[in-house]
Amino acid sequence: MSRKQYPALDETVCTRVLENGLTVKVVPRPGFARKLAYFVTDFGSIHQDFELDGKQYHAPAGIAHFLEHRMFELPGRDVMEEFAALGANVNAFTGYDMTAYYFSCTENFDENLRLLLEFVSTPCFDQESVEREIGIIDQEIGMNADAPESQVFEELMRILYRVHPIRVPILGTSESIRQINAQWLELCHRAFYTPRNMLLCVVGDVDIDAVAALAEKVLGTQCKESGKKLMEWDESLVAAKPLCRRTMEVAMPTFQLAFKAEPIGTGDETMRMEIVGDLAAEMLFGESSSLYLKLYEQGLIDSSFGGGFETVDGCAMLTCGGDSEEPEKIHDEILKAAQEVAKTGVSEADFLRMKRSAMGRRIRDLDSFDSTCFRVCAYHFDGFEYFRFPSVYAAVTQAEVCAFLATVVREERAALSIIDPKEES
Amino acid sequence: MLETMELLPGITLRCFRDDRFKQGALSIQFIRLMKKEEAALNALLPAVLLRGTEFCPDLRAITLRLDDLYGASVSALVRRVGDHQTTGLFCAFMEDRFALEGDRIMEPMVAFLEELLLHPLLENGVFCDSFVRSEKKNLISTIESMINDKRAYAASQLRKIMCRGDSFALPRLGEKEDVEKIDPQNLYAHYRQVLRESPVELFYVGSAEASAVAALLKKSFGKLERAYRPIPEQTAFCGNAGAQESEQMDVAQAKLCMGFTTEITNRDPRFAAMQVFNTLYGAGMTSKLFMNLREKQSLCYAIGSSYFSTKGILTVSAGIDTCSEEIARAGIFEQLRACCDCDITAAELTGAKEAIISGLQGVHDSPSAIEGYYETAFLSGCALMPQDYISRVMAVTAQDVAAVAKTLRYHSCFCLKGGAK
Repeated sequence: MSRKQYPALDETVCTRVLENGLTVKVVPRPGFARKLAYFVTDFGSIHQDFELDGKQYHAPAGIAHFLEHRMFELPGRDVMEEFAALGANVNAFTGYDMTAYYFSCTENFDENLRLLLEFVSTPCFDQESVEREIGIIDQEIGMNADAPESQVFEELMRILYRVHPIRVPILGTSESIRQINAQWLELCHRAFYTPRNMLLCVVGDVDIDAVAALAEKVLGTQCKESGKKLMEWDESLVAAKPLCRRTMEVAMPTFQLAFKAEPIGTGDETMRMEIVGDLAAEMLFGESSSLYLKLYEQGLIDSSFGGGFETVDGCAMLTCGGDSEEPEKIHDEILKAAQEVAKTGVSEADFLRMKRSAMGRRIRDLDSFDSTCFRVCAYHFDGFEYFRFPSVYAAVTQAEVCAFLATVVREERAALSIIDPKEES
Repeated sequence: MLETMELLPGITLRCFRDDRFKQGALSIQFIRLMKKEEAALNALLPAVLLRGTEFCPDLRAITLRLDDLYGASVSALVRRVGDHQTTGLFCAFMEDRFALEGDRIMEPMVAFLEELLLHPLLENGVFCDSFVRSEKKNLISTIESMINDKRAYAASQLRKIMCRGDSFALPRLGEKEDVEKIDPQNLYAHYRQVLRESPVELFYVGSAEASAVAALLKKSFGKLERAYRPIPEQTAFCGNAGAQESEQMDVAQAKLCMGFTTEITNRDPRFAAMQVFNTLYGAGMTSKLFMNLREKQSLCYAIGSSYFSTKGILTVSAGIDTCSEEIARAGIFEQLRACCDCDITAAELTGAKEAIISGLQGVHDSPSAIEGYYETAFLSGCALMPQDYISRVMAVTAQDVAAVAKTLRYHSCFCLKGGAK
């Protein structure tokens, strides 16, 4: 077991890798009543193509999310009711490159943890319940179709990328989910819900040895082979299409703008690129930038405006968005400002202040159990121990940030997605 | 633990000293009666204050100041709790112990809050016209954007139908037509009045001692010219005729919202039982509505109930296919009837109680949760401490739940239907 301390953050992380290949992490929070456990698989909506036992597969879009819905079952038992009786709040989410199952509780932690491990590791899919789930997910797809903030982003991914599966919504489509059956679910579960492809992370006042022992008891000691994700996408850094717009029942136009960046590596490189990307966003259109002030004072953006650097397996991008009457003008202003900022930079004092502020916000964010647990998991799959971020901040230079702006914020890498209000009939 | 003191007449300071967190939080709320004439003014005021001060005359200067304080944040705080609306600021800042080279954060933070609150940038003795103009535009677009979230929109339409003639029908941020009437003069006059006469709630969570916080804030608030005027207490639902309304919109999914009334508010001894009922019926993750309408009947993805305890109103909302409206409505009544008939399993009852208790035990696990819980409790006129609340929930029986379910009267319905206009 390793126990690493980060005194500057007043944090500790305990890590153990079990015989079955599962990584277990505990972030102790002495004196807190709440305990939060994430059981996560490194498998998300973009991992439709994979190899298992020497055979290649292409699963229907939406499979990871469908699987997440159908996991909450144990033969002859009611998982939700058992959690409820134990006083836990349980839920799950599917992302582009991971799926997480989690609960939070103040009491009965061991029983809740056992239940979480049991239901996520036990496949039981019957065709009848799969059929019923299609109806529920179809309603979720309908709800999502009416949510402008999801639609504007999904449309953006569709035009920004040519082949990368981030083009396909996490939920899949009404048509694709109808191709999903019990066999597909079993296959994906066998391929990616193996201990070595997963992580168990707990934030709270618990003991790692007890957590590890329980995980070994429920999951066994056998280390099974995982499926191999096929992630060779022939994606260029040029946006597939520069613009898309459509209408919805919204009050005013809403937009998302993105610039394609080089996919990032693993380990320290992940964090470093992410900090560079974040600082670039801050320097270009953050609240302390002159561009932000100008756009705000001209009424082109309002407080809904925001952005940052986003990464998913095989893609990375600088994005921003919000409500605006003139999204295209914002697009032009950002392109213009980027090249200027990249050339002139900011004073070294301003750069230090920017870093200190970004780091302060990350430190404050550690008060959130959910955000901390999520970040520890996401960075783990990228091969980075999250609490090491202060040292990476210290190492990032302004030259890197300016170089990033100069190469990434260019017209050919940009795509703009706009949703306009429907004309009154 | 929580320490409460009257800092100055009508100005209450509550300090929750806790050194487990990486950040401290401070909220400043001026309490007003929710009414049409001023709801929009109260909503706009903090947004204009956050645009510039005498010493930081624009947004950029304000952000740089906050960046210097290690990325501290200040935001507008506009709450609606029953008949009351608050206007003010919420700020969160890193604890001094994480700063470099002995930098201090809390003290300059409080000084900056004083500056934002008491020294706004003025032009001809009133707020800057350009600030007021652009924040009005922002507020109007926020109000209009309510329609983007169809579920929230349908819920607010239902509240308008149920509460005609009561301030509870007003949206939290006021209405567009009232925002339009605001100018720098009337907003500034309102600001002076708010500072002079409103009851003030100050809430601090963090590692500093209450006496130190009090000393800092007393210095700032002592500079105010005050003529404090208390405001009336919370009132229950006033009761008018119900209605059934619907609206067509080009949406994929219909939203059904149903409203019920009850005489039980948070000032009633049966309050805990009503909370248990609400969780068991529709708000919990294994509620009757979720398990039956979603899991068994596959009618919807999202369904749930909400209990507005200051007023005594319970609403149910569901996202469904337009053609399923009648089946869903029947299902919602059927599950309520099951509760009235005490058709409640031991697991359902324990599950609902555990969910509420677990939420209450977790109140003390984050600065914003602490501030949110206590301030909402004090503003709502029912300051139940989490521990007392837990004991009351533990004592609730299935019979108590059935009894409170029987007090619910169906009142109104709003359905947002799919299909072209």
